[in-house]
Amino acid sequence: MKVIIGVSDMKVSDNPDETLITYSLGSCIGVIVYDPEAKAGGMLHYMLPDSTIDKVKAEKNPFMFADTGIPNLFKSTYKLGAKKNRMRVVIAGGSQILDQKGFFNIGKRNHTSLRKMFFKNNVITDYEDIGGNVNRTIRLDIATGDVYIKTSGKGEAKV
Amino acid sequence: MSIYEKILNEIDNLKPIPAIVNQILEIIEEDNFNMEDLSEVIQFDPLITGKLLKVCNSAYYSLNRTVESVQDAISVLGLDEIINIVLLKSGAANLQKNQAGYDLNEGELWKHAVSSAIIAKNLADKKEIDNKQMIFTAALLKDIGKIILNQFVGESFTKIMYLVDNKGFSFMEAEKKIIGVNHAELGEKVAKIWGFSSKMIEVIGNHHLSKPSKEAEIETYIVYIADNICMMMGIGIGADGLAYRFHEKALKALDISSIELQGIIADFGENYQQVENLLKI
Repeated sequence: MKVIIGVSDMKVSDNPDETLITYSLGSCIGVIVYDPEAKAGGMLHYMLPDSTIDKVKAEKNPFMFADTGIPNLFKSTYKLGAKKNRMRVVIAGGSQILDQKGFFNIGKRNHTSLRKMFFKNNVITDYEDIGGNVNRTIRLDIATGDVYIKTSGKGEAKV
Repeated sequence: MSIYEKILNEIDNLKPIPAIVNQILEIIEEDNFNMEDLSEVIQFDPLITGKLLKVCNSAYYSLNRTVESVQDAISVLGLDEIINIVLLKSGAANLQKNQAGYDLNEGELWKHAVSSAIIAKNLADKKEIDNKQMIFTAALLKDIGKIILNQFVGESFTKIMYLVDNKGFSFMEAEKKIIGVNHAELGEKVAKIWGFSSKMIEVIGNHHLSKPSKEAEIETYIVYIADNICMMMGIGIGADGLAYRFHEKALKALDISSIELQGIIADFGENYQQVENLLKI
């Protein structure tokens, strides 16, 4: 069964019949975590790097921002028995418009924000498909932990 | 027949834009337009009236009573909103289909069009710029050229992507190089044929700010920024993805900071589910 993760959304699962999927990541970033022993995982699709621009919105929907969404994804997956040291982490998205520089480069800032948090918390990614100017769709098969990334116009590949 | 002639022939296959769109845009362009003229124009178009009432009574607005007439709709939702719904419904016929050449599934280009239109209108509101309905309509119809170019992009896709991936071309620069015309230029042609105002023709033709020699109109900058926001949010984007040029001057012209840009994205993101619901009506 397909479980769709929308924009600014997150879902976790340990149901082997489920596939988590999020469509059309532009500058947004999709984060996938999966513990092969617990056979549990989760997916986050966040839009923006930093919740300090709007605390009210972050409270209402923490999945909109990297700094509020990422901790929530990890904690929610722990609740299904996943352990941090066993978790595989895959990230995709963070695309940029051509010539998009500096503060306006949301895709790059989304990635920087994630990297800072992962560094502080000793999280190492297993696979990254970040940047460029493409549009990506990612899915996670809960039964196997298999991750697929589809790049629009270029087809789908297993990570 | 040359490819260019073939492409121009395709324009005839577009569903014509309903006459009501030009009538509305003409009326509201006058300085002191008469509200009654406007509601009459809408009222005498039964197809549009039917669609309008359906939208007004949908969960999108969750009104606590049933709206039964155009007058009623205007008094409950306000004239601005009603015009938007009418314009929206008029644009749907061409934009809803899938566009395989751009790797866009059914409804995706439409989602992009509606989202751009709503963001552009909100931006115009925020920056207190007149011409809101024209901006809304231009944002909605800006990619009409893609519908014509779709088949040709599909046929030359490998060549186009080669230039984008390896030669630093934007997608539309590659369209131009390989096919001889890009989707914005085609959109401009369609806008002329449909009898749009010169400003609207300009906005549609320059919605990627691809005419370098010119300072653009403020309306063009607004539509440009709305389009860029949709690209960043990944709304209804296809194989062309984000392979367009970013021009910071548009943000400067409207005095939009990086924080403000993120605020606009957050605002739209918060209401995005509602927009998705609107698309289903």
